[in-house]
Amino acid sequence: MSWIREGELNLIERLSANVLKAGPVPKHVAFIMDGNRRFARKKHVDRQEGHSQGFNKLAETLRWCLQLDIPEVTVYAFSIENFNRSREEVDGLMELAKLKFLRLLDERDKLEKHGVCIRVLGDLTLLPLDLQQLIAKAVVATRDHNRCFLNVCFAYTSRHEMANAVREMAWGVEQGLIKASDVSEALLSECLYSSNSPNPDLLIRTSGEVRLSDFLLWQTSHSCLVFQSVLWPEYSFWNLCDAVIQYQCNHASIMKARELHQDEQRRQQLEADHACVAELLHHHGNGKPADGPRRQEAVAEYGLRREARVKDFLEALRNKRDSFLTQLASQATVA
Amino acid sequence: MALVYELVWRMLHVLLHIHRTLVTSLRVLLRNWNGQTWRRAVAALLTPASLAGFPDSQKKLVLEISKRARGRCSRPSGCLVEKLPVHVGLLIVEEQPSYTDIANLVVWCMAVGISYVSVYDNHGVFRKNDTLLLEKIVRQQDLLGLEDSKYNVEFLSNGNTVHQDQIVSGQPVVKVLSPEDGKHSIVEAARRFCRTVEQKEKTSKDIDVPMFDALLRESKNIPDPELVMKFGPVDSTLGFLPWHIRLTEFVSLPSHVDVSYEDFLVALQRYSTCEQRQGK
Repeated sequence: MSWIREGELNLIERLSANVLKAGPVPKHVAFIMDGNRRFARKKHVDRQEGHSQGFNKLAETLRWCLQLDIPEVTVYAFSIENFNRSREEVDGLMELAKLKFLRLLDERDKLEKHGVCIRVLGDLTLLPLDLQQLIAKAVVATRDHNRCFLNVCFAYTSRHEMANAVREMAWGVEQGLIKASDVSEALLSECLYSSNSPNPDLLIRTSGEVRLSDFLLWQTSHSCLVFQSVLWPEYSFWNLCDAVIQYQCNHASIMKARELHQDEQRRQQLEADHACVAELLHHHGNGKPADGPRRQEAVAEYGLRREARVKDFLEALRNKRDSFLTQLASQATVA
Repeated sequence: MALVYELVWRMLHVLLHIHRTLVTSLRVLLRNWNGQTWRRAVAALLTPASLAGFPDSQKKLVLEISKRARGRCSRPSGCLVEKLPVHVGLLIVEEQPSYTDIANLVVWCMAVGISYVSVYDNHGVFRKNDTLLLEKIVRQQDLLGLEDSKYNVEFLSNGNTVHQDQIVSGQPVVKVLSPEDGKHSIVEAARRFCRTVEQKEKTSKDIDVPMFDALLRESKNIPDPELVMKFGPVDSTLGFLPWHIRLTEFVSLPSHVDVSYEDFLVALQRYSTCEQRQGK
């Protein structure tokens, strides 16, 4: 089944969408698509069919998001923990993924027409090589599309992502691109797999479970969390509207909390810059304490230099990641 | 046309607001009308004014429940709560905190056998007023008659840490958390690691999840919360321990103000019946 489910909303759905769009709409929604296996048990079909229906529902949900002016969606497709499932199920999921990415490459034109950019977040090296190559090819092929974005978390856990971000910053220190004192919340965010996306405004988990299961823990610290009991393959347009309404009800308080957090971040960065400058003056100065305006100037200058360092480091990181994908993509044996 | 949609949208949200207010009022009304005896037996225990001269039997009720909850009953089906979390986080997302009600929640957690209780708000208000909170907790403990040594509380705030053996020995710990314990601590640990790389003591390839986990717990050993009870209307964690909440169950309650022991038990019950497949 296709990645792009063509189709329009019916009249009532369209009217409801227009009403919702009169208020704030999330720019980025994350889904934990839980409940495929329970759905399969309920309908007395096998698990593979449950997962397949789950994928179809994903394609449909993407269309609904676009029709609600939600340009970015992130989904939790496969956790590193899922490798603990039976060999049979894991192999089945890998095969399903291969089929889907092959299909995606077939639909390249449709994706270009709709401007869909596909990204895959996770530790790709844990996957079978042929799947890695297919994924890389799909990501490279849609890299420049910018109308809407689909991020698929595959071989992903949030803790791995955070540890990996620390590894990248440590790599930057090893390469002499940044100093350890440059490490900040903002820099860590830029080193995550999701660095090209804003933080999700809304996180939806289906099937009634009320936990995050190691998904986007850093990015959703100030997101609206909605837990819905519907099983993922049974998700409907109205379930999505319900979640968006809950987002709208929480919008003001969450924005306020985000601003508070950002103010605190800015304060901490300034404090860190002050500390660094104090240390530098102590080591290189003539022992006399710098006066107020001189110190302010030194801190501002230090801040600019730090930002320049960080910019160069992030560019190097981007190049490293891009060339990894481009290399993999060129190895793929698909026409 | 856009104006029409906006009008309908405003009406929708006004209706939702009315609905929410009605539900809250109804809940309060129902509770007041419903179990007068039950309410008196349990809730009155928790308000200082009415405890004076209250019969010992009511205190015994809470203690009896707490004993059963800790699984010391002979029949498994007779136990109040099948599985108990080791660490419960009390996440307050309301503007005006009520220290008495929070102290109640903390004391109930300890009475039921939960060994680590944390209290969090995203403004850091509890951190700033931790002495007030501790006073209230001690007061509520006394009122409940839990003065014996096994309820000695280890109160941690401002960077104090708890040792592994304290968690194992079952001595209850109360920790006051703020956003500093969340992303800020993760960043600090990352900075520490990068410094060791800068000093050539480690390489970037040395870091993995278990190592970073250990690094984080070096300065603040906070166990992962199995359960977070969120009090308030905001559907967000607002920065609560991002690293630690990967498998945490979230139970939402409308408010911590005048929260009842029944509500608390219901929340615990919801936790104990959940099934964690852990990816399998």
